[in-house]
Formats: sequence, structure tokens, C-alpha cells
Amino acid sequence: MDSFSFLPNAVLVLCAGSLVQMAAIAIRRNVAQDAVLGLVVLLASLAVILAPTALVLTGTLPLFAPDAWASYTAALVILSAIAIHIMSWRNSVLSDTSVGSEYYLLLTLATLGGVVMSSAIHDVSFFIGLEILSLAMFGLIAFRNARIDAGEAAMKYLVLSGLSSAMLLMGFALTFAETGSLRFLAPVATNAPEPLLASMGVILVLTGMFFKLSAVPFHLWLADVLEGTSIPVAALVAVLSKIGLFAAMVRYFSSINLYVSGPQVDEIVAVAVLSMIGGNLLAVAQTNIKRMLAGSSIAHIGYLLVAFLSPGPFSFASAAFYLAAYAIATLGIFAIIAGVMPQGSYISDWYGMFRRKPVAAFAMSVMLLSLAGIPPSVGFFAKFYIVAAGISAHRVILLLVLIAGSTISLFYYLRLILVMILPRPSDSEAHRQMPPITTPWVGNRALIALLAVATILLGVFPSRLVQSGRQLLDVPPPPGPSASP
Amino acid sequence: MFALPALIALPFLGGLAAWLVGLRNGSARLPWLVSLLTLLLEALLLLGVTGMTGGSGWRGHFAMPWIPLFGIDFRLDMDGLSLVMLWLNLAIAVPVLLTSSREIKERPGLYHFLTLATIAGINGVFLSTDLFLFFFFWELMLLPMFGVLLIWGGEHRARATLKFFIFTQGSGLLMLLSILALVFVHVQETGQLTFNYFALAGTGAMSRAAFPIMLGFLIAFAVKLPIVPFHAWAPEVYAEAPNGGTILLAGILGKTGAFGLIRFVFELFPAASAQIAPVVMAFAVVGILYCGWLAVAQDDMKRLVAYSSLSHLGYVVLGIFSGTRVGMEGAVVMMVAHGLSTSAIFLITGFIEERTGTRDMRRLGGLWPAMPQLSAFAMFFACALLGLPGIGDFVGEFLTLLATWHVNHVMAFFAAAGSVLSSIYALTWMLRVFYGPPVFAGEAPLGRPVAGVMWTLGAATVLLLVIGFFPQPLLDLSAPAAPQQIVSLAGGAR
Repeated sequence: MDSFSFLPNAVLVLCAGSLVQMAAIAIRRNVAQDAVLGLVVLLASLAVILAPTALVLTGTLPLFAPDAWASYTAALVILSAIAIHIMSWRNSVLSDTSVGSEYYLLLTLATLGGVVMSSAIHDVSFFIGLEILSLAMFGLIAFRNARIDAGEAAMKYLVLSGLSSAMLLMGFALTFAETGSLRFLAPVATNAPEPLLASMGVILVLTGMFFKLSAVPFHLWLADVLEGTSIPVAALVAVLSKIGLFAAMVRYFSSINLYVSGPQVDEIVAVAVLSMIGGNLLAVAQTNIKRMLAGSSIAHIGYLLVAFLSPGPFSFASAAFYLAAYAIATLGIFAIIAGVMPQGSYISDWYGMFRRKPVAAFAMSVMLLSLAGIPPSVGFFAKFYIVAAGISAHRVILLLVLIAGSTISLFYYLRLILVMILPRPSDSEAHRQMPPITTPWVGNRALIALLAVATILLGVFPSRLVQSGRQLLDVPPPPGPSASP
Repeated sequence: MFALPALIALPFLGGLAAWLVGLRNGSARLPWLVSLLTLLLEALLLLGVTGMTGGSGWRGHFAMPWIPLFGIDFRLDMDGLSLVMLWLNLAIAVPVLLTSSREIKERPGLYHFLTLATIAGINGVFLSTDLFLFFFFWELMLLPMFGVLLIWGGEHRARATLKFFIFTQGSGLLMLLSILALVFVHVQETGQLTFNYFALAGTGAMSRAAFPIMLGFLIAFAVKLPIVPFHAWAPEVYAEAPNGGTILLAGILGKTGAFGLIRFVFELFPAASAQIAPVVMAFAVVGILYCGWLAVAQDDMKRLVAYSSLSHLGYVVLGIFSGTRVGMEGAVVMMVAHGLSTSAIFLITGFIEERTGTRDMRRLGGLWPAMPQLSAFAMFFACALLGLPGIGDFVGEFLTLLATWHVNHVMAFFAAAGSVLSSIYALTWMLRVFYGPPVFAGEAPLGRPVAGVMWTLGAATVLLLVIGFFPQPLLDLSAPAAPQQIVSLAGGAR
């Protein structure tokens, strides 16, 4: 029986593109030119996603799945990367021309890692994707080399990322020992000769993934990393890497009946509950806007896990929709911060923003409402979709926790809107200088406008996105003999 | 028939126009005129809708697909109950916007937009018969209110607004859970995914899960109304809101909760709501007495009216949950009368606050000689508050108490005792503010009230008297149509 191996077009383009970028830097160093080149590579990879796979080999290991789920999540990853690319432009981080070019190279590589992960169906290809992403992110996080906290954030990320990779590998090893297969698919514990070993393997893989997804209780690095790094990279950590990982996680668990309680499912349920509560509580207590967004990001991973845990017609479709809604809103917020107040990290810096920058403040409010799940934003429909998935799978307890979490989250999302509407209080923190307000460059302004319009339009007319997010992933047949190496 | 969507779109577009007009030159006059024109058009439209559609049952219908993958339609239907609520909404919009030019000095265009957008959202709530659409409007009507509270509110507005929003949104999510649970019960039974109110009405009552599903709806509406254990947000928000916002909140926004109780809790889950009725009625009685007691103890006029308003809403709940036709009719009359009288009193207190600079009753007194016309109106509305026969509030109170008596004597007894408390606070309010030695003697500008305020108060007086003496037309008109009834004007298949 022949087996086919597909190399997704986007992976091909991104690989070739990163080589071209490297060559361009080697020939002549020019930040603007390299930035444009990076954007071209990203756009090219986006353009080829829907084209039929160019490179199909027979008789080799199946490394990538050419399915709709891969295309959808890869498109999300690349679109996020483009947004991050645009908001990085003219960022103060890149004013240092001696290293600016490498930033765009690393961004392309991170995108490559995300795309590889989203379509990987083999342990090796998944791990390669994960490491490409992690190493590129390590470089990007440390990019603010003049700032001491960037180094601290990068070290934190490096150590924890290394630890979680080691756990993942151990999990893969146990799974391999049990099933003799390196297929990127959780072994079904009941079929395995040693059920305990198999489920330990899965749990180790899961733990590694949760580290990277920063689900509670593996979340401690996220707030520090987001705080330490520059704003576009924070967006990368909060959005791009999570989309890639979540996509891979959904694929990994497509073999397991998530409705039947078992050690793996119980772990995911516990992590989902902890993330929804813990993330929101973490965010409530923050005075720093980036740390608040870290908490919010953790909570949204929890909501996504609810969708993930609700098998049925809506499960992955709602997760796909939610990923898009989350990406749009979070990227929008980071784009606005990067454009309007790159130096202002405190929530109190945003007092009176509706007077000083009404359009930006309005866009910011739209994004925050979307994250809070209030109509007419796309986040509302996304949350509705997830609750629909949960109800159809009878996950009532998880949904009650989701409601409790969302109610807590209203507090901090609305507080930011409230701060933007109210004038600055005269007495408090009078000693502290307000950071300067800048006008975003035209591309960033266009990006913000596009994201805000998308948030509202998709919220009122979600049909198209719902349609494109349906039936992305069929449960694959159990691995045949040819699938094993 | 596009009249129903137009009822929602018109205030929104008019508000948008008012805002844009206000942006151009910044004066308050132009937005004011635009929103007055909007209300006039809305009144004409509503008049047309009322005239064209006769009879009982479902009087108007509109539907088009919205999100077909989920069986979600943009579906609006109007029965007598929604028609009455639409009129009440319009009636309350008038004082809110009329008086705004005096109070709202800053960004008047935006104020008009936010107020009219709230009104549009409330109209949507009263009309939608697709559960998703209903929820959409239910959440949407709060957003502009958030802005009104936050931009023009009092000193502690940040805290109050946050509280208001978190309470209502959190309970709204519970309702979302219930809506979806109901829909999936329907899917399990019929295999059809739909959010259509009429389709779901059949399954809701029969389902074994009816009770928990009903609870989700009940809690959301109880928070909005508010019924006593869920009332913690209300007094603070009423006190901190600008006067227009308070009138909107107490006059109509709270009524969406009562409307929801009738339309969704009672008609979708008759058996389950009958089961929980004694508990809810007990809470309503506790609310009548407790909030009445608190109203007696207030020094702040606005808080006094706020608590009295909460106390009176207890009668609405009693009427609805008595489960009788009389009680339901009484509740509707009570809603209308209470909306009118409370708005009028808030208008009066707002006017006094504007003229004297305070709403603390310890610093007020003897206003009658200084502003005789206004004080006369105040006397009338105080009588309405304490339930004087001949005024609309009395009819509502009487009918709800009558209905309660048939269900439970003890509750009726205690609920009736609430009107003793209302006499105490209404008359104390009169006594402390309008009688006694004049505190502001010799300050001439207190007198000569504005024509707009007087006309509004006069209109409210006439309406309350009409309802008080001839309640029958309102009772006939407002009977809610059962979901099982066929839409007589149906423009398509349901």
C-alpha cells in the first residue's frame, strides 16, 4: 500500500522565503528592504494555501496532512503574522539598524513553525515545527536587547520551553514504546497492551502542550514574558503560537473520544476549569495592561478547551471560529497599543483616551467588547458558539465555570473602557509622567480599522465565517500498518 | 411588512443623525431638534402600526433568515403586550430627551445618540421572537446605557456602572445558557435546530429540564427588574445616573425584565413557573416591604424614589406570578402606570436638584410658595405613588392584590401593608420638600418652571387619570398573545 507525503505549499514558500531573506541580509543589510521582503514572503505563503499541494511524494513517511483544518489554521497563523509584521514596522525596537533585519527573518521562521505544527501528523514534524517556533520566539522576545527585562523574559521562556519540550519528547517516547508508532495521534488507552504507559505518554505530551499554551497551572511564564518583551512580539506570543499549538492539539486528540471520562480527559477538564478561573483572576488583579492581556489570553485558552471538550457537530467548528475571533480582537488591541502608546504599560496611562484619541479608543473598546463577548462583536457570537457546543455535549459544569469566568472578565475589560472614558483623576499618581501618545503609521491605522470593522461585521453577519469553519477536521481512521515508520 | 424593523431602526438612525449633526457645530439645539423629530416619526409609525393592526393575538409579523446554519432568523412579532410596551417606551423617551438640553451640557449629540440607541435596543427586546435575536438586543440595549452612565453620571459613577454591567451581563449569560439548553432539548426531540419562539414554545413546557432552564431566564429577568435578592446594583445606579438615564432605567429598562417574565418565563414554561411562583411571590412581598422601609429612611430624594420604585415593582412580580388573568392584567397596568409616575417624579426631583443644587431633603423645604405649579404636580404624583384611587397606579395595585388574594391570603395581607409604607414615604417627601418654612426664601429664580417639563408632567397626569378611570381599553389591548396562537397577518410560514 502506497503512502503519500504532502508538503504544504505554505511550508514550502516559507522555507524558501526564509532562505531568500537570509541571503538578502547577507548581501546587503537594509531594514526597510528586508521588512518588505518579509511581508512579500508572508503574503506569498498566504496566497498558496488554497492551491492544490504542489509537492506530493509517494512511498515516504506521511508528515503533513493536507486537510481543511490545516489550511484554516495555517491561514490564521499567517494572517496573524502579517498583522504582527505591520504593527512592528517603525517600532522603536527596530530602530537599531544593526539587527533590525533579523527581526523579520525570525518572524518568518516563527510563522513557519506555526504552519508546520498546524498541519503535522507525525511526531517528528510536529516537534520540528514546535522547535522552529520556540527558537524564533526566543530570539524575538530577547530582541529589545537594551532592556534588562527582555533578557529576563527570554531566559524564562527558554528554560520553561526547554522543560516542556523535554516532557513532550518523553511522552512521545512512551507512546512509541507502547504502540510502535510515531504517528502524531494519541494512542487509545483501551487498545494498548499497557494502558497505564499509554495514558502516561499522553499526559506527558499534554503537559508539554499546556506549558506552551500557558494553561493554568503551567501559565506562570506568560505574564512575565509579555511584560518584558516588545508589543508586537507579545502579540506573537499571545496569538500566533497559541493558534499553532491549539491546532496541533486538536489534531492529536482526534483519535480519542473526549466525552468518555478518562485520565487524559479529566486532566483537560481540570486544566480548562483552572484556566478559566485562574486566568481571569490573574487579569483582574493587574495594573499593567500587558499582564492583564496575559491573564485574558489564559482565560481564552480555557474557553477554547471547553469547545475542545465538547465533541459533536459544533466542537471543532466552534473552536475554529473562536480562534479567529480571539486572534482578531487580541491582535487589534496589541496593534492599538503599539500604535498609540508604545511606552505606556499601565492601565492608568489610558485615562481620557476617548478625548485624546477618540478613534483609537473606540477601536480599542470594540476589541475589548469582543473579548468580553458582548454583541454586536464577533466575540459574542464566538462565545455563543462555544456555549452551543458545550450544551450539545452536556458540559454543564464547564459552562457554568465559563459563565463565572466571563463575568469576572467583564470587570477588567470594562474597567479599561471605563478608564478610557473617564478623565484622568487629578490626585492619584500625579507624580508619574503620562507616556507620550503617538500617531500610528498609516499601515497600522489601516490594520486597526480593518480589524475593528471585521470585529463588528463578523459579529452581525457571522454566517460566512461559520460556513468556512465547519467540518474542517474529520476524525482520521485508525492508523494502518503503512502509517507506522 | 417592514413597519416592525422600522420601529427599531428609526430611533437608531435618528440618534446617529442627531450625533452627526451635533458634531458639526457643537450646539445642543440641533441634535435636540433631530431627536424630537425622530420621536415624532416614531410616534406616527407606532400610530400607524396600532391603527393598521386590529384584533387580538399576534398583530404584526416580520421574518427573514439571518444565520441559517443555526436556524436563526431576524424574526419580529408584535402582540398587544409588546404594543403597549412600545408606547410606554416612546412615552418615556420624551421626557428623557426633552429635559436633556438643560442637564447635558457636554457633548449633547452623543447623549441623544446613546439614548435613542438604548430605546432602539429596548424596542428590539419587545419585538423579537427569535431567542437569539432577543438575546442580541437584550445585551445590545445595555451598551449605550453604559456610555450614558459613565459620561454624564455622578461622582461615583465608575463603581456604579461597573456593578450594573457585571450584574446584568453575568445574569444574561445564564439566560444564554438556558436559551441554548432549550434549543438543544428541541433538537433532541424534533431534530430541528431553530431559535424560533413559536417552535420552542411547545418543547419548553414538556421538557424534563424545564425547571433549570426556566431558572436561567428567571434570574436574568429578576436582575433586570430587579426582584429583591438581585437588587444590589439598582439604588446606586439610579442615584448616580444623570436624570435622563434614571428615568430610562426606572421607567422602561426595568420593565424589560417584567416583559421577559411574561413572554418567556411564563409562556414558555407555565408548569415550571407555577412551581416556583410561591417562592418568587414571597420574594416580591419581601421586596415591597423591605424597599418601602428603606425608602422611608432616605434623605436623598433620588434614592427615595429609587427604593419606592423597587418596592412598586414587587406588585408587578406578584401580578405576573399569581398565574391568573387578573394578575397579569394588573401587572401590565402597573408597569405602565409606574413607568409614567416614576418618570414624572424623577423629572420633578431632577428639576428641584437643578434649581436648588441639592437633592438632600435635610437641606430642602418649603418649596411650595417658590414653585407652586411644580409642587402641585408633585402632590399629584405623590398621590399616585401612594395608590390613590382614580390614578393608574391604584388600578394596578388593586388588581395585583386581588389576584394575590386568590392565591395566598397572607401574602396579599403583607403586600397590602406595603401601601402603608408608600403613604409614609410619599407624604414625608411632600412634607420635607414642599411644606414647612421656606429654606430658599427670597431666591426668585426658583420659580417659573420650563414649559417642556410642565407639558410632560401634564401629559403624564392626564394619562394616569385616564388609566385610573378607564382602565378597560388598556386591559383589552395589552393581553399577551399565547405563542400557540396563529399569527393572523403572517407573511410567511412559521
